[in-house]
Amino acid sequence: MSAPSEPSSGNPLLRYIARRVGVSVLLVVGVTLVTFVLTNLVPGDTVAANLGQQAAADPTIVAAYRSHYGLDRPLPEQYGTYLVNLLHGDLGESQQTHRSVVADLSAAVPATLEIAIGAIVLSILIGVGLGVVAAVRRGHLADSALRLVSLVGISVPTFWLAMVAFYVFSYKLDVAPGSGRLSPATTAPPDVTGLYTVDALLSGQWETFGDAVAHLMLPTLVLTLYTVGLLTRFTRSAVLEVLDQDFVRSARAKGLPGRTVLLRYVLRAALVPILTVVGLAFGALLSGTVLVEQIFSWPGMGSYAYQAASHLDLPGVMGVGLVVGVIYVVINLVVDLLYGVIDPRVRVS
Amino acid sequence: MTGPTSIRGRGRTVALAAAATLVAVGVAACGSGSSGGGGAGGGTLVVDSSFDLKTIDPGREYELTGQMLTKGMYETLLTFANNDLTKPVGDLATGYTLSPDAKTLTLPLAQGRVFSDGSPITADDVVFSLQRLIGMKGNPSFLLDGVTVAKKDASTVVLTSAKPNPALPFILPNPALSVVNSKVVTANGGTTDDKDGAEKYLNGASAGSGPYVLKSLDVASQAVLTTNPKYNGPDKPGYGTVVIRNVKAATQVLNVQKGDSQVALDLSGDQVKGLDTGKVTVTSGPSAYTIFLLLNQGTAVSPATSNPQYVSAVKKAIDYSGLLGVAGTGAVQPAGIIPSLIAGTLPAADAPKQDVAGAKTALAASGMSAQKPKLAYPSDLTLNGLSFQTLAEKLQSQLAAAGIAIDLAPAPVATELDNYRNGKEQMGLWYWGPDFPDPSNYLAFAPGGLIGKRANWPATASPDIDKVATTAGSTADTAQRDALYQQFQQGLNASGPFIPLVQPPSNIVTATTVTGATYNPIWTVDVGTIGAK
Amino acid sequence: MRRIPRAWRTPLGITGAVVAALWIVVAVLGPVLWPYGPLAQDFPRLEGPTGAHWFGTDELGRDVFTRVLAGAQVTVPLALLLVGLSVVVGGLLGLAAGFFGRWVDETVMRLTDLVMAFPIVILAMVVAAALGASLVNAVLAALVVSWPAYARVTRGLVVGIRTADYVLADRLLGFSAFRSLRTDIVPMVVGPVLILASLDIGTATLLLSGLSFLGLGAKPPTAEWGSMVSTAVQNFDSWWMGVFPGLAILTVVMAFNFLGDALRDALDPRTAGVLEKAETR
Repeated sequence: MSAPSEPSSGNPLLRYIARRVGVSVLLVVGVTLVTFVLTNLVPGDTVAANLGQQAAADPTIVAAYRSHYGLDRPLPEQYGTYLVNLLHGDLGESQQTHRSVVADLSAAVPATLEIAIGAIVLSILIGVGLGVVAAVRRGHLADSALRLVSLVGISVPTFWLAMVAFYVFSYKLDVAPGSGRLSPATTAPPDVTGLYTVDALLSGQWETFGDAVAHLMLPTLVLTLYTVGLLTRFTRSAVLEVLDQDFVRSARAKGLPGRTVLLRYVLRAALVPILTVVGLAFGALLSGTVLVEQIFSWPGMGSYAYQAASHLDLPGVMGVGLVVGVIYVVINLVVDLLYGVIDPRVRVS
Repeated sequence: MTGPTSIRGRGRTVALAAAATLVAVGVAACGSGSSGGGGAGGGTLVVDSSFDLKTIDPGREYELTGQMLTKGMYETLLTFANNDLTKPVGDLATGYTLSPDAKTLTLPLAQGRVFSDGSPITADDVVFSLQRLIGMKGNPSFLLDGVTVAKKDASTVVLTSAKPNPALPFILPNPALSVVNSKVVTANGGTTDDKDGAEKYLNGASAGSGPYVLKSLDVASQAVLTTNPKYNGPDKPGYGTVVIRNVKAATQVLNVQKGDSQVALDLSGDQVKGLDTGKVTVTSGPSAYTIFLLLNQGTAVSPATSNPQYVSAVKKAIDYSGLLGVAGTGAVQPAGIIPSLIAGTLPAADAPKQDVAGAKTALAASGMSAQKPKLAYPSDLTLNGLSFQTLAEKLQSQLAAAGIAIDLAPAPVATELDNYRNGKEQMGLWYWGPDFPDPSNYLAFAPGGLIGKRANWPATASPDIDKVATTAGSTADTAQRDALYQQFQQGLNASGPFIPLVQPPSNIVTATTVTGATYNPIWTVDVGTIGAK
Repeated sequence: MRRIPRAWRTPLGITGAVVAALWIVVAVLGPVLWPYGPLAQDFPRLEGPTGAHWFGTDELGRDVFTRVLAGAQVTVPLALLLVGLSVVVGGLLGLAAGFFGRWVDETVMRLTDLVMAFPIVILAMVVAAALGASLVNAVLAALVVSWPAYARVTRGLVVGIRTADYVLADRLLGFSAFRSLRTDIVPMVVGPVLILASLDIGTATLLLSGLSFLGLGAKPPTAEWGSMVSTAVQNFDSWWMGVFPGLAILTVVMAFNFLGDALRDALDPRTAGVLEKAETR
């Protein structure tokens, strides 16, 4: 895989960006290819998985089904058709829901993002805060306590925690609502972003907003624990590393107050590596939701992927693979570009 | 539950349901914003169910959830009143007449009935609906295989079958055969061949005459129905809004106890045991599903299970009552492949029995005791709360006690179905539910039948059983039929490659304020008859 | 490496070492410690914890305590196997990428991108569906997603060392590429990568039990913690069925993470930084 043709611009930064974007596009295509090949390698037959017993025994019905989904075509042609349709923003029709995959995903992706964004924001606020505290109070009691908390955080099996949390808070204590995104009596707010909280605010439906937040609480907190552990650990060591550097020492030596040094010099310098980890953690969160969505009956991407995969719903599986791939690639691109902008040496290599 | 297998029937009890629905104890505990006690036309009913939904286009749907939703929004020519599966009665037709040769079914239509847009239901609507089902070649099309539909006059429809078809009146109540508003459906791309394009429209709006109409549908999470203001049929819908949500069984337990939902449909026998009967009403009974063990007769596929002595050893080694213990309250052992609740079922005394000593003798006689066949089963399938995983583990341990060693070979339904359908499983653990409540549906288990072939069991392998099956299929006289189907099953029990294991329970759990939620093997529960106290 | 013993003297390090040692003892001694057979369906079903059954019984009347102990024989060795395989596969590819650079580097790195961009659950499901659910296949599926971290770290270390003066000097002295790799580079890389591996055992355990939870790992009736939790979800009221296997996973992972953390503290900050970056993949 080599970089695509580069623009003739003399600006090395632009060239670098163009190269990275090109590689990213190739990467996404690679993801679709791998998904396609893998899904077709599975021994199961999608017709068997999606048609009824009696219908699957009738050759004319099977033939009609195959031709409807283009399964009667040679595999390379199927993949080619997929790519061409992809250029037009068409991801095909799900064999499982009989709807367009785009429509399915535009409902499922925001549901997952709503948990994942909530979890990452909370994690940043808590994790970075705790990490700075731990670094500054290095060797003190607070440091040890935080270390314990973060180590436990990254050690808890998410699926188990989700189950226990649901059992305790929703079932036994009844302080959290049941499963799903909204209470049954509540209607979804008008669809703008697909994020129920945002949509409810946009249309001024305060009750719906409250309900959506209440439903988000448990799954978000469960996912947050792991990421908080991760970010606390990482922030601590990133800050420690910066604290050790000459410019911080000299700032201190100049007699600048501790807080100023911390905020203006240390945190700023530690920010880029922390952001990198945030980006990666966000990707991890997205795949972590599969386990959590199972427990909370959350109609998100994880549930959709699981359903699609277990029905050998090729367009559905491809769609999820594509979305996850794009999200990962975009995050990486942004992180790489940030590095590129900040540290010119990266571009040369 | 997943699409492919749920195609099979929807076994739920009939007998116990009616008796137990009205057990009212204590004070209802409904809260959390959903109304428990709305009178007619008011309030919201929340039904929790594990979805296997693909579509609610009546001509295309053939999944558990689709049948339930369609039943609430559409009507069929005939139906089963009070869930009496032995007698189809009029719905949109006033009744039926079957010709003596069982080939012509005449259906006079009820007068004055209207669709949800107020337009009258005509014979043309009926003909269009059934022809569309046949012509689209979808999952339920097989129900009317070899049947032609014609309008005799403005108020009569005639169904003609190529072969004698005594089961047809029992097929017509299937919600897949619902009557749709032909003008609306045609205007939205509907045709009576495979060019039909109305599915998308019908997944966003209903075009029927049932007690409810569709407000919104998300196949992955929930369907919302509201009362049909133009409805002039016999049901008395008790709620203004019905929300049917996709919820896993474990969560359903919690929701219904908290009052978050009023009906839970997928609880296991174990789950209902712990429920507080002061808060909820539990109705348990056997479902119409038969879970069975398949023993492949192909010598190349499986040397052990194709040996008759080995089959006999397995039949005798199983502790059937032990399986019921795992299946939980309400489960029963089917005496033959046709479950209780359906005509032609065997008396309980004819059921296979455990005989460990006999099993050991037969195993020794088979000379296959060193074999270790693979038991394939859908590991992600749960039927009314009974997981195939659990059942397979139980079987393995029971067989081991009689010296029969087997390996478990779990696989996701989607991949395992392929092996099952292609007859590649040495031993298979699967289930069958009635497409329609008629014993002829179980001829699939005859040698050379749909499932018989999957066990590599051709008609030539057992001419006796084949002959009985063929005769039973073409006999119209009820008493004679029942006797023949019993004889068929006795043959299967004696020498067939299938071992009926358990009818899993059907458990319906409702808030104590809810009435009329009784199980039906075809459509699970009719939301049109659910009311509030 | 010589400083490791001191690191173990921290309270967390000691706790981790003790708990990990306990689990290893449980795994090694196996049947000696089991009060009952892990597959024996001899007891009343779904009974809560009692004196006879400390962790209660499961849906088939098996003793949960015995099964939790038996689960140690499954998960811990497999997590070690997974980490070992990841080190070998990732390490070799990373070494090649870092040392040869150019298209080798580009190929390997884009491959790691591809794997990391791929939704792990779908990958695992497809592998499990294609090969059948079994623990070995779960390890293979997990390996597919685990090796890139090692490849990246190894590559990073190699790139750093490759241009070091002494390596260049040796090359100028006429060392062949292979000899340079063997004598100058590999020894410098092995230490940090092995340490990363030891830090990764907890994560590997989590990954494997997660796959089993989704039904893609242990083949029944094997007692495996993740699949025990998964069964428990279907028997919600019998909380003991899920809580104890989950605690087993938690304590194992925590023990290895405590140990790893102590280990990291004993390292010089630079190596620790490289490792930390790799771990947060």
